[in-house]
Amino acid sequence: MEEYTLTDATMKVIQDRRSIRDFTEEPVSDKDLDMILEAARQAPSGENAQPWRFIIVKDEAMRKKMGAIAGGGSGRRFTAEFVTKKMQERFATLQDEAKRQAAFQKLTSGQVSTFMANAPINLVVCGKKDVWDTPYDTSAAIENILLMVTALGLGACWVIAPCIDIRDEERIKALLDIPEGYKAVSILSIGHPTRAHKPRPRLPINELVFTEKWGDPYYKKEQE
Amino acid sequence: MSDQTVTIDYANSLIYELQKAFWDERGKGARFRTTKVGNQYFEEKVRPLLQSTEIEDIIEKIGGVLQGEGIAANVSYSREERLLKIGVKGCIHRPVEERMVAKGVEPFTCVPANLIVLAIEEKLDVPVELAEIKVEEGTCQLLLVVFEKRPSLD
Repeated sequence: MEEYTLTDATMKVIQDRRSIRDFTEEPVSDKDLDMILEAARQAPSGENAQPWRFIIVKDEAMRKKMGAIAGGGSGRRFTAEFVTKKMQERFATLQDEAKRQAAFQKLTSGQVSTFMANAPINLVVCGKKDVWDTPYDTSAAIENILLMVTALGLGACWVIAPCIDIRDEERIKALLDIPEGYKAVSILSIGHPTRAHKPRPRLPINELVFTEKWGDPYYKKEQE
Repeated sequence: MSDQTVTIDYANSLIYELQKAFWDERGKGARFRTTKVGNQYFEEKVRPLLQSTEIEDIIEKIGGVLQGEGIAANVSYSREERLLKIGVKGCIHRPVEERMVAKGVEPFTCVPANLIVLAIEEKLDVPVELAEIKVEEGTCQLLLVVFEKRPSLD
C-alpha cells in the first residue's frame, strides 16, 4: 500500500472524487456506511445547528420510484433547455454530431438521473428549515460524504434532480414521509463503481482567484 | 377576507423585490422553486371551473378567469406538437418582468403560465414545463412543453 503524508492524502482524496453513475450490484458494507455517516456528522454548520438528517434507502422498489422522479425532473428541464436552443448553444463546441445527439438524448430523456434506481444505496439528505444556513450546512455534510466515499474506494453521485423543482421535491417528501419542517436537499447515490473515470476539466485557477478586490488575478499566469 | 385594496404598483413592486431577492440567492435555480406560485388562486378560482381534458378548453377557461378578474386582457395560444405557445397580453404583472429584464435577468416566473401548467398537469396527469418567458411589445410570449406521460412510479 502506498504511503502518503496527511496533506497529500487529503489532496488525493479530493482530486480522486468523481461523479459515479454506474454501480456494481455489490452492496455497501455497514462498516463503510458508518464511516460515511460519521463523516457527514462531523461537517461544520452555522451556530452548530447540525440541521442535516439522513434517510438510507436500499429498498429496490423505493429506489426505482426515486429514480423515476429524478428522471422526470431532469427530462423536463433539459427538454425545456433543448426546445429553447440553449442546450445546442451549450454544446456548440462539441463537433462530433453523433456525440451531440447522444448527449441531447441522454439529457432530454432524463436518463442522466434515472441511474439512481440502480445504486445500492440512495442517501437522502434533508435539511431543517428553521435554521439560518441549511443549504450551506447540508452541502458541507454532502461534500464530507463524497470525500469519505472516495477514500473508501466507493463511488457516489450528488443528485439534485429530484429535489430542485418544488413539484418533484413534494413527491420525494411524500414518498419518504419527510415532515414539513425539513427540506429534501439532495440524494446521494452510493455504491461500487463499475470502472474508473477520468477527471472532468477544471477552469484554470488564474481565472478563479483575484487579489484584494474582484478583477485583478491572484495568479498572474496560468498554473498547471 | 379584507375589502381593503392596495395599488397594483405597490403589489408589483413587492413581487419584483421578492423575485429579485430570490434570484440573487438562487440564480437560475430560482425558476424551479416558483413553479407553484399561484397555486392558491388556482385552487380557488380555476380548479372549480375545469371540466374538459382538452388543452385548448383548459387554456380558454383560464384566459376567461384572468380576463374576468382583470389580470390579463387576453390569452392566446397555438400548439405545435408538444410545444404550447401562449401569448399573454395586458398582464397586470408585466412591470415585474420588465424590471427583471432591465436588471439583465431572464424572467422566470409567470402566474398565468403556472396556472396553465397546474391545470394541465391535474386534468391530464402529464408533466408540463415552462421553457421560456419572452417579454415582447405589449405581450408576454410563453413557451411550454407538454410531455406525453408522467414517469411511472410503479
